Amino acid sequence: MLLIRAITLDDVDPLIEMARQVGSGMTTLKPDRDMLGERVKTAVASFAQTIPPEQRDYMFVMEDTSNHRLAGVCAIKGAVGLTEPFYNYRIGTLVHSSRELGVFTRMDTLYLSNDLTGSSELCSLFLMPEYRTGHNGKWLSKSRFLFIAQFQQLFTEKIIAEMRGFQLDDGTSPFYEGLGRHFFKMDFDHVDGLTAIGKKSFIAELMPRQPLYVDYLPEDAQAVIGQVHRSTLPARKLLEQEGMHYEGYVDIFDAGPVLQGRVSELRAVRDSVPTVAEEGVPEGECDITLVSNTKLDDFRMILTQTCNGGSKVALNVRELQLLHCQAGDPVRTLSLNVRKNSNG
Amino acid sequence: MYVVRPVEPADVGALETLLAASMPGVHTLPRTREKIAALVERSCASFAAHVDIPSEETYLFVLEDLEHHELVGTAAIHASAGSNGTYFAFRNDVIQQVSRDLNISHSVHALTLCSELTAYSQLSGFSIRQRDKTGHEAALLSRARLLYAVLAPHRFGDRFFVPLAGVTNDDGQSPFWDALGRKFFKMDFLDAERVIGGARNRTLIVELMPHYPVYVPLLPGPAQAAMGQIHPSGQLAFDLLTEEGFEADEYIDIFDGGPILQAHKNALRSFRGSMVRRVALEAQPPASKDATVNYAVASSERKFRAIVVPCAPAESSEALCLPAWAQQALQVAPGDNVICVRI
Repeated sequence: MLLIRAITLDDVDPLIEMARQVGSGMTTLKPDRDMLGERVKTAVASFAQTIPPEQRDYMFVMEDTSNHRLAGVCAIKGAVGLTEPFYNYRIGTLVHSSRELGVFTRMDTLYLSNDLTGSSELCSLFLMPEYRTGHNGKWLSKSRFLFIAQFQQLFTEKIIAEMRGFQLDDGTSPFYEGLGRHFFKMDFDHVDGLTAIGKKSFIAELMPRQPLYVDYLPEDAQAVIGQVHRSTLPARKLLEQEGMHYEGYVDIFDAGPVLQGRVSELRAVRDSVPTVAEEGVPEGECDITLVSNTKLDDFRMILTQTCNGGSKVALNVRELQLLHCQAGDPVRTLSLNVRKNSNG
Repeated sequence: MYVVRPVEPADVGALETLLAASMPGVHTLPRTREKIAALVERSCASFAAHVDIPSEETYLFVLEDLEHHELVGTAAIHASAGSNGTYFAFRNDVIQQVSRDLNISHSVHALTLCSELTAYSQLSGFSIRQRDKTGHEAALLSRARLLYAVLAPHRFGDRFFVPLAGVTNDDGQSPFWDALGRKFFKMDFLDAERVIGGARNRTLIVELMPHYPVYVPLLPGPAQAAMGQIHPSGQLAFDLLTEEGFEADEYIDIFDGGPILQAHKNALRSFRGSMVRRVALEAQPPASKDATVNYAVASSERKFRAIVVPCAPAESSEALCLPAWAQQALQVAPGDNVICVRI
């Protein structure tokens, strides 16, 4: 059975092992012992609440309880951009109009911005290939929303997720080739590597500071603004179902979209149900449901078939054990899938 | 035998004939009789005006072939380029981007819409018939405007500039325009020049053109290649002006990317090298051509005329010995002061 739980210091070694499989493209999960060790320490301190909310980095692992191996990882950063600048392009509009000539031109413009500073960020999602079956990927991604719903007070108003931008089959980014390359004169992989070791803001400092007219870019670069990498399409859809939207912010290198959502408007916040665990067998209409305990310092979550939405939720003994709960303890539930006939 | 003089009301007909001959690259001269007449009138008023601060005056000079009583060229100078508004140009900027942490530094070439040329005096409207076969008269025509400025410095700014037409192909399309202005104006280059009348000081420019720097590396190759390049028809003017002391490279035109030459007046040969001399009658023609120097000679602010004449070097003498025909062309007599500069 699978379990999602707060990361612990014992997870560092298996996490490094997993990071080796991630490959390029995920900048926050590189197999670097110092970096990951430090990050796990921060995560543990975050769940223990010994550091202020904006410094926190909540990391979750998916564990296969049958063999105690890690199946996946995901994280929520408390706030971005507070220790080093967080850059995005905002797509704005400039109208150039002359009544005298009867010309009205609407131009899309890229503004280098730090607008998303202070937002909480969903990041570092990775599922081991052998576990990419059933609902695992969906669950791992959505688990973070249930956590946010349970601990709303820990999060700022805005949640963001940076999505990997469009790339051609050979790994080149048309947007980078059309823009960034002129300013860095290095390959995308190299730039990507620098951003991984925390030098993204230095690189942003080399980008043009002034707004850019999108029309100046080559057509293939224009076409991929706000487009995700093909393999990221399902992930984007998942987040959009949960109440996150693309609102015109993109990555400065590959123009991948930033999805954002207000905490209060997330489906998990609106539809998850605080309830009480009881031991038993679910009766009535069942649904695939995320069930979590309500303990920040020992956060645990399972996915099960149960009746969601009542004043109590029936779980078996094994499930209660995994949640470190007893009958009568508070839990929070959220149906895995968006209910199609939901009337509000 | 050529003379440069201020345009007169009687010249309108001859000007119409001269300007009717198509001159590609010259967008700053009117073609219709009505507009030509208006320009001539404005020029006459400008020459007659008492000027304290240079402003809306436009001085139009004509090159006259005295032998055939024909006008063969024009040249103009505006007292202040932006008198009716702000004069817009692109300034070539180099933006240095440095990251010490990454040990990277590089420079990026950007074009910035600027209005610095607004207070400059502007040379324009240089046209000459049979451009390919001209001699000293082309140099005289180009330079006469500046000699007038030497004689009447209060009428002009301390700095001068000259926009030269940029590269266009056989259809009149400009690669620079296509990459830039077209995106904002949504029309062909020549149509845009027509609606704006060749002006660069109209409000609609600031309404339509980009306010933010244009990063040159993002422009397509042909547009980059056209930056600062002159239309072949402007080669003569370019050569004459650079010889005069004008410098290119700092500014380019916002429409076609053609170079805008500019200089402080102290850098110009007409200002630095011109001498005031008293006119004397040439007693006898010089013994040989080697003993003479070609001078551009101009009379006075009030009765301005300029010619090229070979005469004895005047650097170390108080007088300039002019043959009778030259005195006649300049409408001066012995004892009058003139200015002269080697051509």
